[in-house]
Amino acid sequence: MTEILTLARKEITDLRRNRFMVVLFAFLAVAVVLSVIVASADFRLKIADYQHYVDALKAAGSSATAPEPSLFPLQMLRGGIEYLEIIGSLFAVVLGYSMITKEKGRGTLALLFSRPLGRYAFIGGKILAVVLLWVSTVAALFLVITASLLVIGNAPLHGGDYVHLFFAAAHTAVYLIMWSLLAMSLASLIRRTGTGLVLALVLWLVVVLIIPQIGDTMDPDNQIPGGLFASLQVDKSHEQAVMAHFTGYETTRDLIEQTSVTKQYERATFAYLGIKNEYNQQPLSFIWAGTFNNTLWLLAALAASVSTAMLSGTKKIILRKVS
Amino acid sequence: MNRWTAVIAHELLCTMRERLPQVLLAVFVGMVAASAFIGSSARASVTGVYSEAVRQGLTTVPNPFDSLSPLYYARNSVIYIVLIGALLAIVVGVYSTLRDRQARTMDLVLSRDVRPSFYLSAKLAGLGLFTALLLAVSAVISIACISVVAGRIISVDDGARLVGLYAVAWLFILPFLCLGMLAGLYATSVTSALLIPIVVWSVTIFILPLLGTAAHPVSLLNPVASPPAIQSGFFAVTSNLVNPLSLGEHFKHAGALILADPQATGTVTTSIWTILAFAIAACVAVIMTRRGRMRSALHD
Repeated sequence: MTEILTLARKEITDLRRNRFMVVLFAFLAVAVVLSVIVASADFRLKIADYQHYVDALKAAGSSATAPEPSLFPLQMLRGGIEYLEIIGSLFAVVLGYSMITKEKGRGTLALLFSRPLGRYAFIGGKILAVVLLWVSTVAALFLVITASLLVIGNAPLHGGDYVHLFFAAAHTAVYLIMWSLLAMSLASLIRRTGTGLVLALVLWLVVVLIIPQIGDTMDPDNQIPGGLFASLQVDKSHEQAVMAHFTGYETTRDLIEQTSVTKQYERATFAYLGIKNEYNQQPLSFIWAGTFNNTLWLLAALAASVSTAMLSGTKKIILRKVS
Repeated sequence: MNRWTAVIAHELLCTMRERLPQVLLAVFVGMVAASAFIGSSARASVTGVYSEAVRQGLTTVPNPFDSLSPLYYARNSVIYIVLIGALLAIVVGVYSTLRDRQARTMDLVLSRDVRPSFYLSAKLAGLGLFTALLLAVSAVISIACISVVAGRIISVDDGARLVGLYAVAWLFILPFLCLGMLAGLYATSVTSALLIPIVVWSVTIFILPLLGTAAHPVSLLNPVASPPAIQSGFFAVTSNLVNPLSLGEHFKHAGALILADPQATGTVTTSIWTILAFAIAACVAVIMTRRGRMRSALHD
């Protein structure tokens, strides 16, 4: 256990000193803050449009009223969460990959393994470092997000909102740790420095972008700008009645989307943040009942990546590939 | 064979031998082929949904998908060019210049009577030819798949539009190819050489459009035309600033117009000029690289 802690401490010191990684994390924070700024500007425009509409109604002497746009602060995080799911996972791949390749590049692998380490001590230290790093980074990112909502978004947050933010952060940490460990496994298994990284990037491309893109494109409501049902002037209740006749197609589409762990992460996080309207302002028990399968799939993916990293990070496998 | 053709032939040979670009190539060509079938499935579902809505008496508006051109089936290809094609170009570009630095062949080549600009121009021409061949094959596959899905050979006009789309795609891919080459020339390690251009790509494709239009990053993966930029307040400033730099959005806009998407508005000229300007600037940046930079050592 001491060996694992020592190795994890060494990894974290290395990462703290790596300016390139620090720049990447800062970039991620800036992207997330930008998305809050944009969402907040968008909401202010909606309020301004509403005010103009009300003024025009008053000027015309009309007594008609229109519902004021409601502000749900956590919904402003949609762009930020999408950045974490796309760009965050990309950085997670690079982080996980570089944790193994740097040892190969510096020639310190053989030195490390010349010590009397336990079979899983080396990779255990790396995994612990990844977990600690992502938990602290995600905590810092969500602190930045919360501050952005309060200061830039001028959005009042209540006690329940912080709990929902905590669950979203927990899902984010699991998702990013999974990607780092997956990349770490590929780095352990593949000899050439660039080869494993490009393979990890191909995997990232397929899981993060292509599969969700196929599922999204197959959604009938995404075929027309503004939505198919809106263009057909069909309201939400009737939309469900129509779609009830297409359960086979929708199930297939859903299955395609569910093969992507990114979509599992997105569905759970969007539910906890109320971005998905059916979960907005709902209690945690209701959200858990609707999304526990997404959370469990995400945890299963994490368990698989931890196991793969453990099995591929032994002295026998890593040194066999280096020699 | 003169020096120019020798470098081009060598570049083509090396690129075709690389296994990893081959993986991306297979994904790209496979997705271009699949896009027609995905489009067909989406169209069938929309028609079914529309018929059901009419049957239930919920709508009286005409079917938005009536009299749609077979080019509709190629809409997803535009997204795959933005996602996979651009990434493929980056990887191919990075490998091209890194290969020389890793094997130290750059020193050997530059010890001969060869100017750096000449060598890099020839390499770029070789890679440009490789991507042109790749896109030509993709265009043929796309035409064949659309013909299968539509149940007839597409018209000459539609075929010409598809060829036009892939010609613009080549121009769009060129800056990313150059970006990859530049990263391969300037980066100090293989990891940063691959990562930096991918970060630039992600900013161009996902972050800049958000700043100008408030469009969500994932919605940018949908081939449906993006909403026009809001021309008031915050977005009036940001859209003017970021719009010229949103290369992906320019290509998607040009692609939608070339594919005769009825929802796309405006003209194709501005988008093509912007893409062309990026392509020229990127090529010049590669060709201007100094001898010392080309010979610099890698740290891993």
